[in-house]
Amino acid sequence: MAIRSRDTRAMIDRYRPWEVVLIYLGIFAFLFFLLAPFIEGFLVSLKPLSQLFSSPYRFWPENGSFEAYRTMWISVPGFGRYIFNSFLISTVATCVVLILVVPAAYAFARFDYKGMGFVLAGFLAVSMFSGAVLLIPLFRLMRTLGLLNTYFAMIVPGVAFLIPSAIWLLRTYMMRIPTELNEAAYMDGASQFYTFRRVILPIARPGIVVVAITTFIGAYAQQFIFALTFNSKTEYMPLPVGLFAYFGKQDVIWNELMAASFVGIAPALIIIFFLQRYLVGGLTAGAVKQ
Amino acid sequence: MTTLFRKSLIVMALAGTTALPAMAEEISWIYCGDKIDPVHEKYIKEWEAANEGWTIAVEVVGWAQCQDKATTLAAAGSPAAMAYVGSRTLKEFALNDLIVEVPMTDEEKAAYYPNIVDTVTFEGTQWGVPIAFSTKALYWNKDLFREAGLDPEKPPTTWAEEIEYAKIIKEKTGKAGYGLPAKTFDNTMHQFLHWVYTNNGQIIDADGNIVMDSPQVLAALQAYKDITPYSVEGATAYEQNEIRAIFLDGSVGMIQAAVGAAYLLQDTDIDWGVTALPLGPDAKGNGTLLITDSLAIFKDSGVEEKATEFAKFITSPKVQEEYEGGGAAGLTPLRPGPAVDAMLAANPFWQPFIDGIQFGGPEPLFTDYKGFQNVMIEMVQSVVTGAAEPQDALTKASAAIVEYK
Amino acid sequence: MIKSRSSLIFAWALLVPAILYILVIVAWPLVETVRLSFTDASLRKVTNYVGWRNYEKIFNETFLTVITRTFTWTFFSVLLKMVIGTFGAVLLNAAVPGRHLFRILTMPPWIVPMAIGIFMWGWMYNGQFGMISGLLQRFGLVDGPVAFLAYGETAYWATIVTDVWIGVPLVTIYFLAAIQAIPKDLYEAAWTDGASRWTRFRRITLPLMAPAIITMSMLSLIATFNSFDIIWILTQGGPSGQTTTMIIDTYQTAIGSKKYGEGAARAVVICIFLSIFCIAYFRVTRRLAAAEKA
Repeated sequence: MAIRSRDTRAMIDRYRPWEVVLIYLGIFAFLFFLLAPFIEGFLVSLKPLSQLFSSPYRFWPENGSFEAYRTMWISVPGFGRYIFNSFLISTVATCVVLILVVPAAYAFARFDYKGMGFVLAGFLAVSMFSGAVLLIPLFRLMRTLGLLNTYFAMIVPGVAFLIPSAIWLLRTYMMRIPTELNEAAYMDGASQFYTFRRVILPIARPGIVVVAITTFIGAYAQQFIFALTFNSKTEYMPLPVGLFAYFGKQDVIWNELMAASFVGIAPALIIIFFLQRYLVGGLTAGAVKQ
Repeated sequence: MTTLFRKSLIVMALAGTTALPAMAEEISWIYCGDKIDPVHEKYIKEWEAANEGWTIAVEVVGWAQCQDKATTLAAAGSPAAMAYVGSRTLKEFALNDLIVEVPMTDEEKAAYYPNIVDTVTFEGTQWGVPIAFSTKALYWNKDLFREAGLDPEKPPTTWAEEIEYAKIIKEKTGKAGYGLPAKTFDNTMHQFLHWVYTNNGQIIDADGNIVMDSPQVLAALQAYKDITPYSVEGATAYEQNEIRAIFLDGSVGMIQAAVGAAYLLQDTDIDWGVTALPLGPDAKGNGTLLITDSLAIFKDSGVEEKATEFAKFITSPKVQEEYEGGGAAGLTPLRPGPAVDAMLAANPFWQPFIDGIQFGGPEPLFTDYKGFQNVMIEMVQSVVTGAAEPQDALTKASAAIVEYK
Repeated sequence: MIKSRSSLIFAWALLVPAILYILVIVAWPLVETVRLSFTDASLRKVTNYVGWRNYEKIFNETFLTVITRTFTWTFFSVLLKMVIGTFGAVLLNAAVPGRHLFRILTMPPWIVPMAIGIFMWGWMYNGQFGMISGLLQRFGLVDGPVAFLAYGETAYWATIVTDVWIGVPLVTIYFLAAIQAIPKDLYEAAWTDGASRWTRFRRITLPLMAPAIITMSMLSLIATFNSFDIIWILTQGGPSGQTTTMIIDTYQTAIGSKKYGEGAARAVVICIFLSIFCIAYFRVTRRLAAAEKA
């Protein structure tokens, strides 16, 4: 089957037409499941409030308009600020997490000294406690540390709860990097640190990027309970708290809430878009021959 | 980017280390909502000007979370000076020694509508300053009445009629006759209390005895069972706002709701009416559920006295009237007066909401309100889904709520 | 691996920052929570030690149903996440045009604040106005409105679907990274030997994804066991407590009824269950991995 053609992709990547159709079908089904609620949410954001609840179910809005996207800024004036806050908090949190986690994951992946298993299990145990239960002791701790009502009030606990899964995910990824690379470097006289920094880290890049993305998103949208309890300054509030501002005493301004949600996640989507090109596959082909 | 980053770090570090010496005394106020009401803002400034050296630090917290935040802060030892709370929580705060008494003079008590003071009274004294009030009434869809062959100008006045009409509407029009909310939300219990209080029933008496297992309350539960077949399908999935939405859509004949629905209905083209809640066989007069929200003054804030003073000021007749805005805020007025009369003249649909106050009842005061509520919701759900018979469910619930007293 | 004194120091030096951070921020609240579980802590300022009473209370009530329900709910949710995640990862790995866009389009359920995503699902499940009920009626598949959250059975699965929906993006992306780490030469070699796509998937992709699957399923298990927001916002544990899991019960006790002591005890019990499970999980997977190497 050695057909000469202008197609320069690997043979393995060439699909027969029916396979392509299947693949696309599969992807669309997959994406439909993931995006259907957003379609609904988007339609809601287009409907005027009085028409939100109407039966029989109508897919297309009747008096649809983007009005809610305009009025949302009036109902909750600080919304832009909230998006910025979320962005700031997540970025800082992600950086801190990476600084702490990348070395630790490497240690767990490469070394197996006494007590390390214990530590690893300890990290995991942290994630077994729901944040809500720890709230009051955490509050007292934050108060003692003097971090209340600052950005740190949300960053510090957030980082703590993001560390466990980040370590585990990155550790698994790093464990797959062949140890021969370490040995080769050792033969060449490299120190442990040099090996870590110059040899392993670049190869681990896709894994680190994935962990960075997941940590960022975890911090971006999930910082609700900590922000609510540890912070009283409206100027520092992150996005989720801002979204709850669309809840009135009796009513929820649903269309604006949905509009605000879409606007709110846009920055995160943009970040992902830029980062995902670093998700380049594969251990360097041919770095080490099996 | 890095300069911005560095600058942000500096800013954050500064923000974190700021500890200005208290030059002015501060009263922190946890305020439920998404922003401070303009009326309140105006009077806060006025008060601050009249009380030099004092500032009110308002922290605006969303409705869904403000109660929890106030509680968490108090439990952790950093209470706010005052907070907007549901009056039903006052007993719990009081018994746990977290709030201070705010006794009212006889003069102050007399100014309110009857029974309002009871919602904040416990062990002979008052524990909160009422700031918001809501009552419920019956809405009916005249178009659906007409379609079902019922007289659109004659809404039901008794339970029997209510159930009967619901049945007719369901049979003749295919649409639900009544909107019964039975979701695991607090409104489920509230709505049940409408029925209890329109039948002279009680959950807990003045001495703190559980008197729920009575013929009056049983009749209410039985009525619930009777009206379920003609209610919105899948009642356990709906709470009051969703039921109201169904009514606004013209798909249900009758609902029991607060005055907010009236304002929303004006934007639709439904022909509707509102009247007092239908009465049960043992009723003495028009009743309803009286829900008040109050300002609670927390202990150990260091500014309890001044906070009490401010709380009374911000709910004084003049300020309160402006805040209620002749009904525009959707709040039932706390005190009778010329403003209320004007409101009734301009918007007669307010009348049933005022009429029900006299024989209305409060949210029962329990120490563990959530525990009590869960039992009540469970009771209602078991009857509505047919999982239990009314008498059994009632007896079981009566026994269960004793521990939450 | 080179084992030497300096390596030892190096390894621990790498770990120390993370350990310190967790110790300072989390250790004390954790210890405090365990301590609280032995008290009758509530809103009252005075708390007393009550020994094991809180724990006894947990196992005396109808908690067994709640425990079983938590396990089954978690099991189904994690299973679905792994399957759909693998499905998605394989598809997104395919070298078809538009794959970069598709990858980004998988992210929204994870990015959007959880509460908002849940509200959207709440909308879809609404019997009167929701998309699912509406479309089912439109296509004549059901007679009247279907309120999914009104009935125990459907509510159970509805909450699982929403939980799966939120979890799939992360699983998919992680699996995708794992698949992309598999050297292409392996596939090419197999292809030259005439292996079909399915065989290649079964013999190469899956086994080499195994560590990722194990890690992810374990993390997912822990997170799903504690999955709170979804059930709370959609059904609050109802109807009639039929979607109440351990964490819902814990929240109702600790935050709802302000019984912090009892709530802490429940949290500790959850942690113990999860720990036991994780240990068992490890043992089993280690044995499986050893068996495969043999």
